[in-house]
Amino acid sequence: MTTPSAAIPSARKSYISASTTYHRRKITNGLLLGVTGFLTFITLVPLIWIIGFVIFKGGQYINLDFFTQLPRPMGMPGGGVLHAIEGTIVLSTLASLFAIPPGVLAGIYVAYHPNTWLGVLVRFGTDVLSGVPSIVVGLFGYALIVKTQGHYSALAGGIALAILMVPIIIRTTEEMIKLVPRSLREGSLALGAPEWKTTLSVTLPAASNGIITGILLGIARASGETAPLLFTALGNENYEVGRMVTGGIAAHQGPLQILGKILEQPVDSLPLTLWKYAQQPFPERINQAWAVALVLMILILLTNIVARVWVQYRTNKLLGK
Amino acid sequence: MDIKTIGKEIFIRKPSSEPEGTISSKNGSENVKNQIKIQIKDLSLYYGTFKAIGDINLEIPAHKIMAIIGPSGCGKSSLLRSINRMTDLVPGARAEGEIFLDDWNLLTPGADVVEARRRIGMVFQRPNPFPKSIYDNVAYGPRLYGIRREQDLDEIVERSLRQAALWTEVKDKLHQSGLAISGGQQQRLCIARALAVEPEVILMDEPASALDPIATLKIEELMQSLKESYTIVIVTHNMQEAARVSEYTAFMMIESPETRMGRIVEFGETDQIFTRPKNQQTEDYITGRFG
Repeated sequence: MTTPSAAIPSARKSYISASTTYHRRKITNGLLLGVTGFLTFITLVPLIWIIGFVIFKGGQYINLDFFTQLPRPMGMPGGGVLHAIEGTIVLSTLASLFAIPPGVLAGIYVAYHPNTWLGVLVRFGTDVLSGVPSIVVGLFGYALIVKTQGHYSALAGGIALAILMVPIIIRTTEEMIKLVPRSLREGSLALGAPEWKTTLSVTLPAASNGIITGILLGIARASGETAPLLFTALGNENYEVGRMVTGGIAAHQGPLQILGKILEQPVDSLPLTLWKYAQQPFPERINQAWAVALVLMILILLTNIVARVWVQYRTNKLLGK
Repeated sequence: MDIKTIGKEIFIRKPSSEPEGTISSKNGSENVKNQIKIQIKDLSLYYGTFKAIGDINLEIPAHKIMAIIGPSGCGKSSLLRSINRMTDLVPGARAEGEIFLDDWNLLTPGADVVEARRRIGMVFQRPNPFPKSIYDNVAYGPRLYGIRREQDLDEIVERSLRQAALWTEVKDKLHQSGLAISGGQQQRLCIARALAVEPEVILMDEPASALDPIATLKIEELMQSLKESYTIVIVTHNMQEAARVSEYTAFMMIESPETRMGRIVEFGETDQIFTRPKNQQTEDYITGRFG
């Protein structure tokens, strides 16, 4: 048998061979890899620095009291930021309640009717709204609610944060709905299902992972905001949901009355507290501001992690893994 | 070439003209064979001002498999989709002419689209199970039509999955996701889903083009068993598939590159189309000279 790989005699001179460029390719490859690696490292430096610094400075002042107690009067050691933690939860919940239903519904509308006048208007409005500085949103909340009600309140703060969340939710819902393959909708429509039914029971479940991620990221964004709360929620170092509930029950108030009390009071949030504490001349408060920064960071990190784990879990379940 | 003439040669008799009780003759299946399930008369479909298909006249016999073949962009899918009015979903699309399902004209203004789609099911090119459990995929249609009793749904799900030759493979994992099974199984799940609303006709838009040869074979076997109870119309790019599975074949092509309007060039028994095509274009296409 002849060997198949016998050299083919060639009359022509060959100009191109692998060896001519081999060294140059190898050097270029190494160089570019080095440059990209170094630049990646540089972008990671501030991230690691910030996180590390906040953990180092804030970690020392975190203890159980910090989570369970209200602030002591200025200049006195001890006390905690229970008011701000509860306030953050109240504000985020309120903002979610106001922002999620209109955001998701508008997102669905825009995804299906991008070229109607209303669709164009909503998309344009969403773009503009997401570019509005958050302090302006705060002023808007002040003019709209605080002025008419005559006092600062958690309600006003929740609405201001909702305005910041809505464009994020509309955008992610729209993008996620558009990602659902058309064939999936057609499968449902071909069975005779009406459009609304198809959207509710086929498209939305298929897009839900992305929509939920968008909502959680919106919540994370809103709960880290300070500026819109300055004019709306103001701050309240005596805010304690537990006491309002027990006090309300003791005074024979109904659940709606108690809820009203929780919503109508001014309220603090973690970023707002951080902003105020960091400006005060008392070392305790400044130390606590670092601790607040740490708690806030962990809270937002947790939201992001929960979003990712949840989506991964759902995806795996859907694919039967 | 005249489509109408060709159609009438083969299906000259209407079911109503068939006297009762003649089935006992030696050609007992003759009566069934000549029943027309769907009759399309002078159908045109416009997308805006563009006439995508025109001059469509077709008589689709009951309990048979009819294949629509033709080069890409000739309007095969548009024709298929106008039969169950899926073309309604395309903005600006408009159908003219008549499509009779038995003696009901689907294109009458105000005709119930939902009823049309229930009676004419559809299977798509890519398997498109809903992101739900296998059970819920099949029960989706029946639930739409108001069936709520669990016992009834269980029965429909089992029957449909059996008909789609999928039951033994999935009966132990009915509550797993419909996306967790193989592509071929997903396509049979989609067939089961279509069968669950008790259609009379099943439209298949290149149902095996995304599947491997073994899965394709299973789908083709399934089609043979389904035609006992259903009338099947299949669009396919694959001429071998059309020759293997169908009894009747319609060959479509665009009229001219200028109009790009799809029309039926030849329609007849599959054997005849593939062995003795009457039209030169058909012959060129099936012998692979173009397309």
